[in-house]
Amino acid sequence: MSPYRWIKSALQSLCRKAELDGELDEELRSVLTMIVEEKIRAGVAPADAVRQAKIEMGGVEQVKEEVRRERMGAGLDTLVQDVRFSLRALRRNAGLTAIAALILAIGIGANTALFGTVHAALLRSLPFPDPHRLVLAQKTRNGEVSGPVSRVDYFDYRDGGSSFQELAALPDFTVQHTVTGGGDPELVQASYVTWNLFPALGVAPVAGRGFLPAEEAGGSASTLLISHGYWQRRFGGTPEAVGSTLTLDGEAQTIVGIMPPGFRFLYDADLWRLVDRDGPIDTQRDSHSHYVVGRLAPGVTMEQAQDEMNAISEALAAQFPDSNTGKGLRLEDLHSFLVRDVRTSLLLLMGTTVLVLLIACGNVAGLLLARGERRQSEMAMRTALGASRARLLRQLLTESLILTVGAGLLGIGVAFLLQDVLLRLLPAGDLGIHPPSLSLTALAFTLLLSMATGLLVGTVPALRSSSMDPARQLRSESRASPSTRSTRLRSSLVVGQVALSVVLLIGSGLLIRSLARLSTVDLGFDSENLLTGQLQIQIPDYPTPEERNRFFASLQEEIGALPGVEGISLINKLPILSPWQDWAIWPVGEDPAPGERGLSAMARWVPPGYFETMGIPVLSGRDISRADGPGNPFVVVVSQSVVETLFPGADPIGRVVTIADWRDCEIVGVVEDARVNTIRGEPDATMYMSADQMAPARMQVAVRTAGTSELLIGPIQNLLRRKDPNVLFAWPRTMATLLEEDMVGFRTMILSLTLFSLTALLLAAIGIYGVLAYQVSQRKAELGLRLAIGASEGDLVRMILKRGMVLVTVGLALGLAVAYPGTLAVRQFLYQVQLLDTTTYLGAVFTLALVAAVACFLPARRASQGNVVDVLRTE
Amino acid sequence: MKTSRTDLLRGTLDMLILKTLSQGPLHGLGLSRQIGQVTEGAFQVKPGSLFPALHRMEQRGWIEGTWGESENKRRAKYYQLTAAGRRQLGQEHQNWTQVVLTIAKVMEAT
Repeated sequence: MSPYRWIKSALQSLCRKAELDGELDEELRSVLTMIVEEKIRAGVAPADAVRQAKIEMGGVEQVKEEVRRERMGAGLDTLVQDVRFSLRALRRNAGLTAIAALILAIGIGANTALFGTVHAALLRSLPFPDPHRLVLAQKTRNGEVSGPVSRVDYFDYRDGGSSFQELAALPDFTVQHTVTGGGDPELVQASYVTWNLFPALGVAPVAGRGFLPAEEAGGSASTLLISHGYWQRRFGGTPEAVGSTLTLDGEAQTIVGIMPPGFRFLYDADLWRLVDRDGPIDTQRDSHSHYVVGRLAPGVTMEQAQDEMNAISEALAAQFPDSNTGKGLRLEDLHSFLVRDVRTSLLLLMGTTVLVLLIACGNVAGLLLARGERRQSEMAMRTALGASRARLLRQLLTESLILTVGAGLLGIGVAFLLQDVLLRLLPAGDLGIHPPSLSLTALAFTLLLSMATGLLVGTVPALRSSSMDPARQLRSESRASPSTRSTRLRSSLVVGQVALSVVLLIGSGLLIRSLARLSTVDLGFDSENLLTGQLQIQIPDYPTPEERNRFFASLQEEIGALPGVEGISLINKLPILSPWQDWAIWPVGEDPAPGERGLSAMARWVPPGYFETMGIPVLSGRDISRADGPGNPFVVVVSQSVVETLFPGADPIGRVVTIADWRDCEIVGVVEDARVNTIRGEPDATMYMSADQMAPARMQVAVRTAGTSELLIGPIQNLLRRKDPNVLFAWPRTMATLLEEDMVGFRTMILSLTLFSLTALLLAAIGIYGVLAYQVSQRKAELGLRLAIGASEGDLVRMILKRGMVLVTVGLALGLAVAYPGTLAVRQFLYQVQLLDTTTYLGAVFTLALVAAVACFLPARRASQGNVVDVLRTE
Repeated sequence: MKTSRTDLLRGTLDMLILKTLSQGPLHGLGLSRQIGQVTEGAFQVKPGSLFPALHRMEQRGWIEGTWGESENKRRAKYYQLTAAGRRQLGQEHQNWTQVVLTIAKVMEAT
């Protein structure tokens, strides 16, 4: 048949449905009449003739339904009919529909929000061309990955290898520079890179040019690239910026190019400068501070590149056994490196939201089952009127699909609300990728998820409601006995929900306990009323160490004299604000064996009074003093765990240690360990050198204030403006803020997880309530009868309560059984809490039992309030 | 047993209807009776299969229904073959002969 004819017929069947149906009616009627006449002519009595004719015809409605099914476009027609009917059925049960849709919307919304985030962070590729060819390399020691690479080694890998189109490097830190000239001085963030980082990433400047290989080789390059944002901010986006001069720490630099808007790599940099190949920093092979980023040459696999790097590592080890024995380079996909920190938390949350959705599905499936029970007579009637089982199934599934897709639409709203919270989980700063959004992919995911949910919650109830024998159903119009199979099904749904909720409660309980431990953790220093900031002086203005030391000493005194200041100290890197910088330390003369490194301790330098200002107890010996200046013996104050490792049981005062990146120093004091890097983790082994002997140009400030710390920001900035307008008090923030920032990702994850777990608990409670309430309403007659023959109200309450609590207990037992393997996923997030923490387990069981008891009690009380006479009369 | 008969008919019902109508227009009941007579009662075409088949064939344009008057002065819907229906009958007849011959060959081979 031609498609034209098909469409015409289909349209006809749709548009002229009433007409076609009328004609069919008439035709069937006329046939029936003719059969009757035939019978009468054959001598059958008229009354019998009609009966026989009807038997011969079979069910008229069935015939009609069969004919309709044969029509073109019948599928479309039934679909329209199904949808219309479903909407009517859903509206008839508006309350139930609203509850079911709301429950599902929460589940679907949580999943959509998480999926958006997971998609942005883990699934979407990096915003660079051919991102799968980008790799990141870290150093290994004896096969174990151990962080950044030595700059000197990097150049050997780059010069010796051919697997990479480009192999670039950048330090694991940024550098702040002061820009002077043209208005107020300004502190900018500079990222140092090798010339080929941008070609490796495949990103070109939007104006001007990139760095040239010759500039890097030349040693003292004075060119820089600026970010699009800084170009707008400082130059108002004028094209003349390219080629103009910027005075950085007193040195004139030429801007050669502007990077595209939104471009960032690892850091939020205002400008990029070249790593100085022959510069004075990190000149040793055992000083490691560079991330190596490469683009594989076309056709080269990661394995081939890794083999080549291994060969170079072996050659280096043979040539420099002191520094390179056991050292290697490990390549990994750049994307997986960037998302390593968020991957686990995101997957954990995704798993949780899937569980929440499953619990929600349990509830809705329960609701649909109960409704199926109530609609059995309707289904029986429709079967009797000629609906086939397939037709009923289709109809019921259409209903649940409409319900869940509607819930999915609502869920998108929920997702929008949740996304804001989840966004904070991502250290978007480090990813260099777009913040998550509700993309088309996420919406498609929602739609698919909604439909899958619809099939999940709809199939079993639909199969059950369409599978009964209509004759029996119509004959026994009794509503007194709920089908036991459906009750059993709903009960097992509730057991499953309770079990899942227990696992989620225990999981989030463990994390909440960790968070509580963290917030009361002893940092090892006093973080109350502590204002922090950063200072940098221009070396050309203070060329000698003495001048720099004098400036900082007098500044310290002047800030200390400001009203409201209780104490002030300086340090190269404040705890929490600036982590790491670990240097090796060992007792003099006990050099570590080749391939070993000695003890790693955080290297800090401080003026006198630092420990007092910070509230770090001095355990023995003395503080750094002003006498520990340039020219005098080098001294160091070490923290307790350095002593425990290097001089167990001995008095360390007066012993001399070698500090690998510095020199031999005498230990003059021992202080308590403090948490220097992060709140999570153990207190860090730390060594404090004398700031005067280091004579740095850059320091961080800690000001202990009497009242609100922020009030001191203005006075300190004014003081500096008077003292030296080229020195900035930059990025003033309180220690409380810094601590908060250190915890925010962890806290948000725990909050979301707890939120999801409580949602799960609530849904499970609704499930318990639903099953019991339904049973009570179905057993009204029986309960009334029991009351009539002398059961007390208390007996009835106890009976229903017992029923509910049996379900809860089975669910609890099941949940506890799987809790241990289930919570293994959160192990790495725990802090000073055991995986089998008794308090958490008891708390979870108690919470669940309490909520479940309330959910059971409400319907139980209703059971006892039935009016005997009413009930017996309606039966 | 019922299904096996329907299955037997399913493939051939259209052809039987077309063949019967090729001898002149008939209404639904007449068609059913005619087939019953010719097959000496072997095929009883029930309304449940007859009418869906008629409607399907009408929509495909093989037959055409018009309202007329029966021998007993009753309004009845008469079906007659269209040109397309005649072509379809020729084709189905040919296929059928082919199938019968092929099967006969298999069954007679020893």
